[in-house]
Amino acid sequence: MKRILHHPEAPKTGKQYWRSLGQARNTPEFQGWLEREFPQGAAEFKGGEVSRRNFLQLMGASMALAGLSFAGCRRPEKHLIPFTRGVEWSIPGKALFFTTSMPTRRGYMPLVAETHDGRPTKIEGNPLHPASKGATDAWAQTSILDLYDPDRSRFFKLKGETKTAQNFEKALDELIAGAGDGAGLAFLLESNPSPTRERLRGEIEKKFPKAMWAVYEPLGSDASNEAAKAAFGEGMEVVPQLEKADVILSLDADFLGVAATVAEQRAFATRRKADGENKMNRLYVVENRFTVTGGMADHRLRIPVSQIGLVAQELAAEIFSQTKDDGLGRVVGSPLKATAKARQEWVKITAEDLVANKGKSLVLAGSRLPAGVQALVFAINAALGNLGKTLIGRKSVSKPAASIAEVARGLSDKSLTSIIIVGGNPAYNAAVDLDFAAKLKTAANVVRVGAYEDETSDVATWQVPLAHYLESWGDGFCMDGSHVSVQPMILPLYAGWSELDVLAKFAGLKKPEGPELVQETFRQLVKPNDFVAVWAKFLHDGFVMGEAPKAEALAISSDAVGKLASQIPPPNLDVDSYEVVLVGDFKVDDGRYANNGWLQELPDPITKLTWDNAALISPATARKLGVEDGARVELSVENRTLDLPVLIAPGHAENSVSISLGYGRTKAGRVGTVGQTSEGFVTDREMISGGFNGYSLRTSQSPYYLTGAKIKVTGKTYRLAVTQEHGTLEGRGPDLTREATLDEFKAEPAFAKTMGMDGHNPPNASLYSHPPLNDIHQWGMTVDLNTCIGCSACMVACQSENNIPIVGKRQVIEGREMHWIRTDRYFAMMDEHDEEPEMVSQPMMCQQCENAPCETVCPVNATVHSEDGLNVMAYNRCIGTRYCANNCPFKVRRFNFFDYNQRKIAKLRDWNLTSEKGTEDTIKMSKNPNVTVRMRGVMEKCTFCVQRVQEAKIAAKVAIRDGGEARIPADAFTSACAQVCPTGAIVFGDKANKDSRLSKLLEDERGYRLLEYLNLNQRVWYLARIRNPNPKMPGAEKSGKAIKGSPNGHHHHPPAGEKTEAANSVPHGGPANVRIRSLS
Amino acid sequence: MSESAVSLKTPAELARVPLVTNKRSFAWISDNVSTICEERSRLWWWALFIPLSIIAMIGLFCIGYQISNGVGVWGENHPNGWAWDITNFVFWIGIGHAGTLISAILFLTRQKWRTSINRAAEAMTLFAVVCAGIFPGIHVGRVWMAWFLAPIPNANGIWPNFRSPLLWDVFAVSTYFTVSVLFWYTGLVPDLATLRDRAKSRVARYIYGIFALGWRGSNRHWRHYEMAYLLLAGLSTPLVLSVHSVVSFDFATSILPGWHTTIFPPYFVAGAIFGGFAMVLTILLPARLIYPQLDDLITRQHVDKMAKIILLTGSIVGYAYMMELFIAWYSGNQYEKFTFFSARLGLHNSGWYSWAYFCMMTCNVLSPQVFWSKKMRGNYIVVFIICQFVNAGMWFERFVIIVTSLAQDFLPSSWGHYTPSWVEIWTFIGTFGIFLSLFLLFMKFLPMVAMSEVKIVLPEADPHFHPESPDSHAKEGAH
Repeated sequence: MKRILHHPEAPKTGKQYWRSLGQARNTPEFQGWLEREFPQGAAEFKGGEVSRRNFLQLMGASMALAGLSFAGCRRPEKHLIPFTRGVEWSIPGKALFFTTSMPTRRGYMPLVAETHDGRPTKIEGNPLHPASKGATDAWAQTSILDLYDPDRSRFFKLKGETKTAQNFEKALDELIAGAGDGAGLAFLLESNPSPTRERLRGEIEKKFPKAMWAVYEPLGSDASNEAAKAAFGEGMEVVPQLEKADVILSLDADFLGVAATVAEQRAFATRRKADGENKMNRLYVVENRFTVTGGMADHRLRIPVSQIGLVAQELAAEIFSQTKDDGLGRVVGSPLKATAKARQEWVKITAEDLVANKGKSLVLAGSRLPAGVQALVFAINAALGNLGKTLIGRKSVSKPAASIAEVARGLSDKSLTSIIIVGGNPAYNAAVDLDFAAKLKTAANVVRVGAYEDETSDVATWQVPLAHYLESWGDGFCMDGSHVSVQPMILPLYAGWSELDVLAKFAGLKKPEGPELVQETFRQLVKPNDFVAVWAKFLHDGFVMGEAPKAEALAISSDAVGKLASQIPPPNLDVDSYEVVLVGDFKVDDGRYANNGWLQELPDPITKLTWDNAALISPATARKLGVEDGARVELSVENRTLDLPVLIAPGHAENSVSISLGYGRTKAGRVGTVGQTSEGFVTDREMISGGFNGYSLRTSQSPYYLTGAKIKVTGKTYRLAVTQEHGTLEGRGPDLTREATLDEFKAEPAFAKTMGMDGHNPPNASLYSHPPLNDIHQWGMTVDLNTCIGCSACMVACQSENNIPIVGKRQVIEGREMHWIRTDRYFAMMDEHDEEPEMVSQPMMCQQCENAPCETVCPVNATVHSEDGLNVMAYNRCIGTRYCANNCPFKVRRFNFFDYNQRKIAKLRDWNLTSEKGTEDTIKMSKNPNVTVRMRGVMEKCTFCVQRVQEAKIAAKVAIRDGGEARIPADAFTSACAQVCPTGAIVFGDKANKDSRLSKLLEDERGYRLLEYLNLNQRVWYLARIRNPNPKMPGAEKSGKAIKGSPNGHHHHPPAGEKTEAANSVPHGGPANVRIRSLS
Repeated sequence: MSESAVSLKTPAELARVPLVTNKRSFAWISDNVSTICEERSRLWWWALFIPLSIIAMIGLFCIGYQISNGVGVWGENHPNGWAWDITNFVFWIGIGHAGTLISAILFLTRQKWRTSINRAAEAMTLFAVVCAGIFPGIHVGRVWMAWFLAPIPNANGIWPNFRSPLLWDVFAVSTYFTVSVLFWYTGLVPDLATLRDRAKSRVARYIYGIFALGWRGSNRHWRHYEMAYLLLAGLSTPLVLSVHSVVSFDFATSILPGWHTTIFPPYFVAGAIFGGFAMVLTILLPARLIYPQLDDLITRQHVDKMAKIILLTGSIVGYAYMMELFIAWYSGNQYEKFTFFSARLGLHNSGWYSWAYFCMMTCNVLSPQVFWSKKMRGNYIVVFIICQFVNAGMWFERFVIIVTSLAQDFLPSSWGHYTPSWVEIWTFIGTFGIFLSLFLLFMKFLPMVAMSEVKIVLPEADPHFHPESPDSHAKEGAH
C-alpha cells in the first residue's frame, strides 16, 4: 500500500526556498520522487538476504500500515506526517513555530506554539496579533502541561467501563438517529466564541429545532450580559478601551488580574508609563480584597462587596449632581440614605475627577456584580460621555443560549432526556440549589466529552476524552473581535474528540479528519478570492491581517437601566454577620486547571498561597475572631456550611470573607484532588492539598457574594503553603522598591538614584581589577515597577522554558520551591495599625551581577562568568555546597534538595535505593530539549535564558557565513519572562547595542539597582514606580510614603549644598513597618 | 657550698606545686597508666561503649539515608542553605583546637603542666576533627562528586576555585588533621614501646611493637624524637591559629550581614580554644573519677589552669560579641543593624532566633565568669557544669551566626524559617556517639597519659634533682 505524503506548503510570507530546481518548477519527476520516500532501491533487500533486524523492521512497518497496532490506529491520513519520515522544514534540533490560539471564555488568545520534533513544548503569544503582541498569560503558558497531563481522560467509558471509540461512535449515531426533532436533547457547553461552532449550531438547530442549547460558565458574565442587553439591546457587548482612559474607576473589576486579557493589561500599562508620551492614567479601585488591580491603584476604597452597589449609587448621585445628565437623572431615582462620611468624600472626589475627564474617564464594574450595578455603571459612563470613546460596543459573536438553570429545570420535569456536555464540570461547579449532579443521574443519556474523568464523568453515561486545543482544529474570535485560527500541533494523545467533532456528528456531518469544518466556515466568513493562499496565510499568521473589527454605536436605554438599577440589593451593614465573596482563582480559574501542577504551585499574586485556597479575612477581623493563619473556621450561610482555614490578608475589608473558587475537587487527577498526591491518598497532613470547595456555598441567586454568614472558630488548624513568609519591607522600601508620586517625579526625575542608602554611600571602589567582559553582546534586563502588575505570568513562562520542576505542598512549606523568578509582593503600611496598606510587586530573578558574590565562593568553579555578562551555571560541575545561594543577597538561587524530576512528590523521603523512579512519558515530552533537566544536589538559577542566547548567536554566525561580525540584531530574541510579560515591564536585551530597547531604557532616570553599596554591578535594573494620586483626596499625601520609609516623606534629592548633611545622616528605619504575618 | 645551697633553696610558700602529686615514681606512672590498657575492660566501659556505638550507628544510618535521598531530608531550605551541618562542622572543628594547642603551643612555651593532659586532648582533637570532617563531606548535594574539590588534573581541565574559602577549608582542615595525627603519633612512640615491653600476649606485643617503630629508648632515639617533636610542634602552632581563621573566612569573606565581619578570625580562634578546653575538661573529669590513679597526674592545678583559660577566652569571645554589636551600630548600615539588633537581639519584635542568641550569650559570656572564684575553679562539679554550658554555648554561637544571618537577610521577601528534621538531629547526636566511642577505644588501647613526658617533668628527671629530705640528700651525695 503506497502512502502518498502531501508535501507541506511553503510559507506564504517571507522568502521562498526550494531544495532543487525540480521543486521550483514542480516537475512530475520531482513529484514522483517525493512520493517515493526513499531513493530507488533503498527499501529493497540487498541480495535477497533478510536479517533479523530488517525483517522485524519490515514486519513492524506492515503491521502499522495494516492498522493492527496502536500506532497504526493513530496513523494520520492527511497533513500530519509521522516524524519517522523526514519532513520538509523540520531540522532535527531546531524548533518549529506554528500559530494557533487558545479558547477562553472571554475570547481566543492568539498564540505561537514552539514545537520540537513534532511535540509542542512552549507557548508564546502571537507577536503579529494586536491582542497579544507576543505576550500571554499564566493560563496559556501552563496549557502545555495540561496537554501532556498523564491524568487526562484517556478512554471512552460507558458507565465507567472502558469501550472503544467505535463503540462510542455507534452509540452516538444511535442517539442522533433517535433524537427526532431534538425534543429532550440538550447541549450544555462552555462559552466559546467560535464561528465554526456557531455555524454547526445553526446546522444542528435546523436538524433538531427543539434541542436546547445551553452555555454555562461558573465565572461567566451573565450579569453584565443582562445589563448590556437592558442598556444597549440584544446581542451587544461592551468592551473597555483602557488605553484611552485618563481616569479609571474600578468597582470590583479585577481587569488586570483574574478577569484580565493580555490586551487589557497592556492597554492599561501603556497609559501607566511615565515616559512622557502619554498622560499617565489614574486608577481608583473599590474592592473588598486586594486584587492585582487594587495593587496598582492610586486610591483604593476597601469595602465589603455587598456595599459596592451602594457606592455605585452614591457615585451616580454625585455625578448626576455635578453633570445634571438627564439620562443619569432618570436612573438615580430616590435620594440615598446617609452613609459613612469618609466614604462619601472619597466618592465625591472621585466623581469630580471623573467628571473633569469627561470622555476620557472609564468606570468599570466587576462582571459578576448584580446586573443593576452594572447597568448603573453603564449609565454613569454615558453621563460621563465615555460611550464610544473609552467604552465601545460590539455585536456579540454568539447567539444567546439557555442557562444551566433551564437545563436543570428540564431534567427535573423530565422534558430533557439526553444531555451532551462538552467541557465544563457542572456536577462540581453548578450552584448548589440546582442539585445538578443528582439531576444528571436521572437523565437517560449523558454524553460527557471532557478533558478529565472528573465529578461530572461520575454521573455521565458516556465519558469521552476531549481533545486539547493543541490537538484540534478550530477557529475563534478574540476579545477585540478578530478572527483567529486554531491548528493542531500534535495528534490527540489520547484519541480525544474535539468539541467541533461532536457537534459535527449532530449536524449530520462526518467526524472531521482535518480542517475541513473550519475551512468551510472560513470560506463563508472571509469569502477569499484565492482560498488556498488566504487560508495558508490564515494559518501562518494565525489570523487574517488588516481585518480590524468594527465598533458598534452604543445607545443607552435609561429607562431599562433605571428599572434594573432599582433592583440593586440593599447593602449588608450588619456588623455581626459576614459576607462571603466567591471569587475566581488566579491559578485554577473556576477549577478547570486544578490538575495543573505549575498553577497549583504558582504563588497567588497577592496572598502568595500555593496548593490551596483559604478564607481571606482582614487583620482586624482576625483579631476579632482571635484566629491566626491556618486556623480553621466554619462558615455558614443559611443551611450551608464550609469548614476551611483562614489566611489573614492585609487590605481586606472588615466583615468580609473572600474564598477563591475552583478548589476542593473530589475528582480531578493526581494533582488537584483534595487529599491526594501523585500516588494516592496520603496521611501526611502537610501533603494534603487541594483546598476547599467554595461552590458548596453558592446559589444561583447569589453566585458572587452571600450576606449574613456566620463564622465559628473550630480550633482545628491546617497547614497553608505560603511562599513569602514575610510581607513587609522592614523600612527597606527606599532601598528595594523605590517609588514617588507623579509630581515628585516631575520635580526630580532622577529621584530613585538618591533614595535609601544610595543617597548616603560614597561611590563604590574596588581594590582589584576585574576580568574584562569583552563580548560584543552584553546582556541586561530592566524591570519597570511602574507597569509590573504582579500577574506572575513570568514565573510560569520561566517554568515552562527552563524545565523547572514542581515540588509539592510540603516542600513549599519547607521553603524549597524552585521558581527561578519570583514575584515579591510587599505590603507597606505606616504603622502596625494601618489597615490601608499599599501593595507593591517586584519580580526577582538572578541579577547577573558582574561582581557576582556567588562565583567567588563556589569551591569547584561551577558558577562562573561569561564574557557576555552572564553568571552561568555548569550543572555537571556543581557538587551542591549551597555556598553560592547563601552568599546571594537576592536569594534567587535554587537548590535541588531532592530528585524532583525523578522521584514522586509524596515519596521523596522514601529510601531512594528501593523506590520507584522516573517520570511519565508525556511529562518528558513537555520538556524543553534545549535545557538540561537537573538532578538532585545541584544548584540552579535564572540564566537569562542562555539557551536562547546561544541559539541567537548560532543564527548570527550562520547568517554571516565566513566573515564579519556575528552580532545578533537588536531585540532579535528575548528571555521567556520578558516575552510573556503582558505589560512589557520586563525588557531583556543587549546593553552593548545602542539600538536595543534595553539601551534606551537604561537611560531612563528612574533606573536603579538594588543594594548598590555591595558593589555587585548587577545587570538587572529596576525602574522606580510612579504613583499618580489625586492631591485632593484625603490621605493622598500618604501615597507611597510607607514605601519611601520616612515619616517626613524625606528622600534625599541632594542638591550640592545638602550633600554633606546627606552623607552624614544615617537612614532611619522610618515608620514601624512591623511584621504582619509570619507563618512558622 | 652548702650555705649557698641553703640560700638558693626556695621558701616553702613560693615552691611550685608539684605537677605530679604524692611523689609518684617512674614505675608507679608506668604501672598505673599502662594498666588502663592492660586490665580487662571494666563493666562501665562496656556500659558506655555499647550504647554510644549504637548512637554512632544511628548517626551513620542517618548519613547514609541523607546521601541516598538528598539534602532534602534535612530541614534546610531557601534561604537557609546551611544550618546544622555547618554549625556542627564549626562546632567540632573548634573542639579540635584544644588538643594541638596544649601539645604544641604549650610545649613551645614550656608549660610543663601540659604533659599529663596532652595525650588525651590530642586524641580528642583528632576525633573531633573526624566528626567535623563528616559534615562538609556529606552536606554537599552530590557527595560522589566531592572529589572535584581536590586539585586533581583531570580530563575536564577544570581546577577547583582557589578563591573560594570552602576550598581553603578543605586544605586547612586536611592539613591540620594530618599534622595533628603525626604529632600525636610521634608523641605516642615511646609509650607504645612501654606497652610493648609490658605486653603479656603475643598479639599485643606484636601490634604495639609494629607501631613502636623499634623504639629502644637509646640516646639517638631520644635525640631524634625530641627534634621531631619540636619541629612538629613548630609546624602545628601556626596551624592551630590558621585552621579556625580559615574556617571563619567561610563567613567573613561573604557579603551577608552577620557573616561579613573582619573580627571573625581572632574571635573564632579564641572561641575554639574556649570550646576545646571545655571539651577536654568534659572528658577528663569523668576519666579521673573512673581511674582514681589519674588524680595524681591530672591534678587540681590542671583543672584550675584550664578553667582560667576558659575564663580568659570566654571573655575574649564576649568582647568580640560586644564589638560586633558596636560595629553594627557604628556602621550605620541598616542591614547590619537589622541582623544584630533585630534578628539576634530581638529588638523591634523581629528576631525569629533571638532565643538562640541569648542562649549563646548566657552560656559563653556569663557562665564562665564563675571562674573568677578560685573556690569554684576547685569544685569539679561546678567546673563540669560550666563546661557543659560552654559546649552548648559554642554550638549556639555557630547556629546564631549561620541561621540568624541566613534566615533574615537583605530582601524580606526571601526570609524563611528553619527547623531541623529528625535526620539532622540524629546525625548530630550520632557524631557524639562516634566521638565518644572513638575516645573509649582510645582509652582502651592506648595510654591516655603521655607516660614518657610526665616522667620528664618529675623532679627525679632533673639531673640536678635535690630531694628535700636528708635521706635523699645523702643519696644524692652518694651519687
